[in-house]
Amino acid sequence: MATVAASPTYTASATPQRSRLMSWLTTTDHKVIGTLYLHTSLFFFVLGGLEALLIRWQLMRPNSVVLTADQYNQLFTMHGTTMVFLAIMPLSAAFFNYLIPLQIGARDVAFPRLNAFSYWIFLLGGVFITLPIFFWVAPDGGWFGYAPLSGRTYSPGPNMDFWVLGLQILGISSLAASFNFATTIINMRAPGMNLMRMPMFTWMSFVTQFLIILSFPVITIALVFLQFDRFFGTTFYQISAGADPLLWQHLFWIFGHPEVYILILPAFGLVSEVLPTNSRKPLFGYPVMAYSGILIGFLGFGVWAHHMFAVGMGPIADTVFGLTTMLIAIPTGVKIFNWIFTMWGGSIRFTAAMKFAIALIAMFVIGGISGITHASPPSDLQQTDTYYIVAHFHYVLFGGAILGIFAGIYHYFPKMYGRTMNETLGTWHFWLNFIAMNLTFFPMHFAGMLGMPRRIYTYDAGQGWELFNMMSTMGAFLLAPATLIFIYNFFRSKKHGEPCGPNPWDAPTLEWSIPSPPPEYNFAKIPMVTSRYPLWDLTHPERTAEIPHTQTGWTEATQQTGEHDMAPMHIETETRTAKELGIPMPSSTIKPFFVALGIVLMFSGLLFLPKGMKVPAFALMFGGTAMWVGYLYAWLTTPLEDHH
Amino acid sequence: MVIAVTLLVLAACSGGDYPNSTFLPTTDNNRDATDLWNRMMFWGTIVFVIVEAILLYTIIKYRRRPGGPEPEHVHGNTLMEITWTLAPALILVFIAVPTVRTIFRSQAAAPANAVQIEVIGHQWWWEFRYPEYGFTTANEIYMPHGRPVNFALRTADVLHSFWIPALAGKRDLISNRTNYLWFTPDSTGEAAFNGSCNEYCGASHANMKFRAFTVSAEDFDTWARHQAANAIFPPPVDTAAAPATVRPASNAIGMAQAVPAAQAAPTTVQAPTTPWQFPREKVPPHVLPQTPIPASVSIADAAIAAGDAQRGFTTYSRSACIGCHKIRGNPSSMGILGPDLTHVGSRFTIASGLFPNDAKHLAHWIKNARAMKPGSLMQTLGKGEHDPIMNITVQAGGLTDEQIADITAYLLSLK
Amino acid sequence: MSASADAAHGHHYTTTGLDNRKIAIWAFIGSECMLFASLISTYLIYKGKSLVGPFPHTPWTDPSSGKVFPAILNIPVTSASTFVLLMSSLAMVLALSAVENRGKPLPPGAGAWDKALTSSKLWLWMTCLLGAGFLAFQAYEFTSFVHEGLTIRRNLFGSSFFTLTGFHGAHVTAGVIWLGSLLAIDYKRGLQPSDALAVDLAALYWHFVDVVWIAIFTLLYLIPG
Repeated sequence: MATVAASPTYTASATPQRSRLMSWLTTTDHKVIGTLYLHTSLFFFVLGGLEALLIRWQLMRPNSVVLTADQYNQLFTMHGTTMVFLAIMPLSAAFFNYLIPLQIGARDVAFPRLNAFSYWIFLLGGVFITLPIFFWVAPDGGWFGYAPLSGRTYSPGPNMDFWVLGLQILGISSLAASFNFATTIINMRAPGMNLMRMPMFTWMSFVTQFLIILSFPVITIALVFLQFDRFFGTTFYQISAGADPLLWQHLFWIFGHPEVYILILPAFGLVSEVLPTNSRKPLFGYPVMAYSGILIGFLGFGVWAHHMFAVGMGPIADTVFGLTTMLIAIPTGVKIFNWIFTMWGGSIRFTAAMKFAIALIAMFVIGGISGITHASPPSDLQQTDTYYIVAHFHYVLFGGAILGIFAGIYHYFPKMYGRTMNETLGTWHFWLNFIAMNLTFFPMHFAGMLGMPRRIYTYDAGQGWELFNMMSTMGAFLLAPATLIFIYNFFRSKKHGEPCGPNPWDAPTLEWSIPSPPPEYNFAKIPMVTSRYPLWDLTHPERTAEIPHTQTGWTEATQQTGEHDMAPMHIETETRTAKELGIPMPSSTIKPFFVALGIVLMFSGLLFLPKGMKVPAFALMFGGTAMWVGYLYAWLTTPLEDHH
Repeated sequence: MVIAVTLLVLAACSGGDYPNSTFLPTTDNNRDATDLWNRMMFWGTIVFVIVEAILLYTIIKYRRRPGGPEPEHVHGNTLMEITWTLAPALILVFIAVPTVRTIFRSQAAAPANAVQIEVIGHQWWWEFRYPEYGFTTANEIYMPHGRPVNFALRTADVLHSFWIPALAGKRDLISNRTNYLWFTPDSTGEAAFNGSCNEYCGASHANMKFRAFTVSAEDFDTWARHQAANAIFPPPVDTAAAPATVRPASNAIGMAQAVPAAQAAPTTVQAPTTPWQFPREKVPPHVLPQTPIPASVSIADAAIAAGDAQRGFTTYSRSACIGCHKIRGNPSSMGILGPDLTHVGSRFTIASGLFPNDAKHLAHWIKNARAMKPGSLMQTLGKGEHDPIMNITVQAGGLTDEQIADITAYLLSLK
Repeated sequence: MSASADAAHGHHYTTTGLDNRKIAIWAFIGSECMLFASLISTYLIYKGKSLVGPFPHTPWTDPSSGKVFPAILNIPVTSASTFVLLMSSLAMVLALSAVENRGKPLPPGAGAWDKALTSSKLWLWMTCLLGAGFLAFQAYEFTSFVHEGLTIRRNLFGSSFFTLTGFHGAHVTAGVIWLGSLLAIDYKRGLQPSDALAVDLAALYWHFVDVVWIAIFTLLYLIPG
């Protein structure tokens, strides 16, 4: 293959004088922010993995004393919290950042500075909630933080303070990002890119943003109650005041179940890009894929109480939530079949990305079937809070979300760095990962159905669980080298990977029409989108012949901006900088970073209150507030772009 | 292959190697759940095989070959898409109908002849009350075979969940609420089961276990009537020097002979009852804990063997123990925070199923409960022992090894 | 019109023709709906569940002291504050209209009232003051409740009531600050029709906060226990 080394000189010249760190701290470029998200969340993914290894080491044998009960409880809480909020969600955010503007033909997100803010407050919140584990004062109430255990009466230490405040901070990040991406997708599509032409990843991201927008306020309020209870003595979860602990559970799961789809839909989107590209065929049943994503998101708000079948809601509620849960199997099943039939009759190229995408289909089916078995409440009562559930959701979140994200990383790495990742190492990573994950998680089904509860730091010998736990631990320790291969490949390929042109996979969507890595402005001329697969319209018109092509939107767009900024669909070859082209770019600014820092300091002050240390508490709270208010004022009164 | 492994292991699940299997046809409740499971596995296996087979066929058949033809570019097929929307919907009907039927059957009010048992969860042990018999016990349940059992579930602190995997699905214990769970152990015979807490409840969630026994109606009645009776101390003459383990029921002696001799001992005359416990020789190994004693706690075997129940009675009645524990029949022991110890000698385990109930483990437990069980609310009592929660070393007021051995002997005598 | 204002800047093509901020504020308001829905639901779930008084709609006698706590909610006062907040929404509408129509000649024979309608400063001031007036009512309500023995720690009613209305009060406060900053701009350089979007965003937020209060007033105050 003749490779075109698209020299990325423009990105280097954009910030010539500044140090690396300063350029990160001040960036407003969605691509840089995307890679910052990617690296940070990969770091947290490894950290969460190490926590899991310690957990598995402890559970390898019965009556083991590798960890104390306290340490174990902190580790399982942090493993869940880390993987959900600090690894999978921000890994998806990395792709939202990098890909959404490129896929819809935009030069940046709607609010570049807000985007930087989202990242910094995520990073600082991540540090805030993670740091305590290194001193064994980490949160220890489970990632679900059930009241009243999470209240001050039963968790008097600072552990759960870190959790409740950390999640509030991370919630700010997710919400700010979701407003930004929802606006970006609604309002910044290139002319001709109507909703039914959006790439499927953008579609699934779009649904995800609405899930975040509507579900995160609910957990925010649940956490506000817990925070007020812990710090100010309110009675929301105070049993002695007559509180109902199910209030927390309902609020938590009204957030928590949509959260599952927040984790999985972006991965579904990624494989929906990988599968057609590597099968040389358009996505099978595109409209149904989009609608089923919407339906999954919609139904996702109506099933939360299936996490609560054991709490005694009564037969009617059990029936309703059992049946709505079963309904979700239908749109999910539709997606599975549409993916398979995307490949059917195609010409399948087994890139590393494709292997992960196919594995997602195979593994997610297992998670889906086990999911049905606990959609049935009487059956679920034998399963809930056992290792069977642990097996189920690891097939969904590892076999689904993580495999999809790996597929996405292998697939989009060339776009990000202009080089491909090593395919041989990718194949090793894939097979090792695939075998290890099944070895880790499949035996958990048996352990659970044979009576092993979740969240236990130890178990007795002779209960029939030894073999399955040993297998799981072996699998987990096999996942470690698999991940190491990936990390090595990732960092090595950045410098030494095979250089590639703008479209190494012969993919059909807009992001592949521009150089790799893309210039700061993404598109020198905004392309006019002619169909769902605009690049194939140019290069392989036979592949998209059956799909409607129109020129809608062109006239309106040119009326708004003038034709000089737009061009018919084309492969971009421009190499000049934004300045040379006169494209206004958002200027770099440190203000979002300091707003984020101020908010985190403000929250940190609260940590000192329960100890009666009023001076540091108020100093941090007022200092932090002054910092974020001041920088926010400066931010709002500074224009986004330099006027040149 | 995965399916084959599944079936193989499932076949094994009913065997003795998997004592906590959820697939045992022991109760009406469990048979219903297993029936649902089997239906779902039937359909699930069909779906799994079909989907994975098509997937495998597709990726093998349509792999890219050098010089292969450009694929045909279908972008959808309405008929097929309707098919794989309706097919799962149809399968779900076959699962949903029996599901709903089972929900309403299992959550109906318990039969009128059910044995009532009140369950109160504590961090980290179980309190069991038999209101019909008027007594309270801890961490071990006896149920008459063939009769429905109705559990009323409450918690004294945080949330817990009550589960005997081999008998029935679990039910949570929710603060400020009472939940119910009932089932009929009609196919167990004389058997012993493990139970556990399944809702994460803090430091020793893993150590919040209990034991359940199904016994004949007559044995249940004997057991319950004796549990309802006060503790008798000292026990009948020839049992005073009995080994620290629980004696077989066949050696039991009528309590009518028991003459309360100690000064503080109760003088209430009560109906004769016979101490009875599940026959030791029939106790399966998985019911007897194998938890090792932490190396940091030690007490010499010889010291334990020298324990004297009579001295123990006196020491116990003046120690911190009475602040939390109740022994009906010992008027100084009226605490309510910890497990009722009236017939503690008749139990198989201590510390909520964590250790076997013998002199060695009990003595270690009294010496330093908090080193034996993380987070335990029972204080470290042994003199010179380190209390890991208060982070202090117990000095004045701590119990010597001799005193601990005496108390151990006293408690184990409470059959 | 805001679309033409964007076109004047030259380079911000948008799919809908609307400004990004307009889309974002709607997304934000959607999110806020769930926020207040959670707060209001909690209040309703805990209604009548408090173990000790004071209660919102019924008097309560403390069994230990025999002291009688009257029903705590003062409907007439809150009706007045609700009216004040509703009037602020009207003022907000007039302020936006004044900004949008800035520079248009008055029709012949326009009276003092027509003239007043063109003053964005006047109507922004009115909105701010009415908002601040609502907050003053709330401050009065909160202090009198505390004097009557209802604190945020007292019972489930106190916790859920103060948190819900406190959150709403915080939103009103943020709105007053937002409007105040618009007023500052108005004094500094005068708000022009090209600033209509900025005022429009504040107005959307303000009306939303107002609507939430209608829900709170109906569900908390008007529907008796």
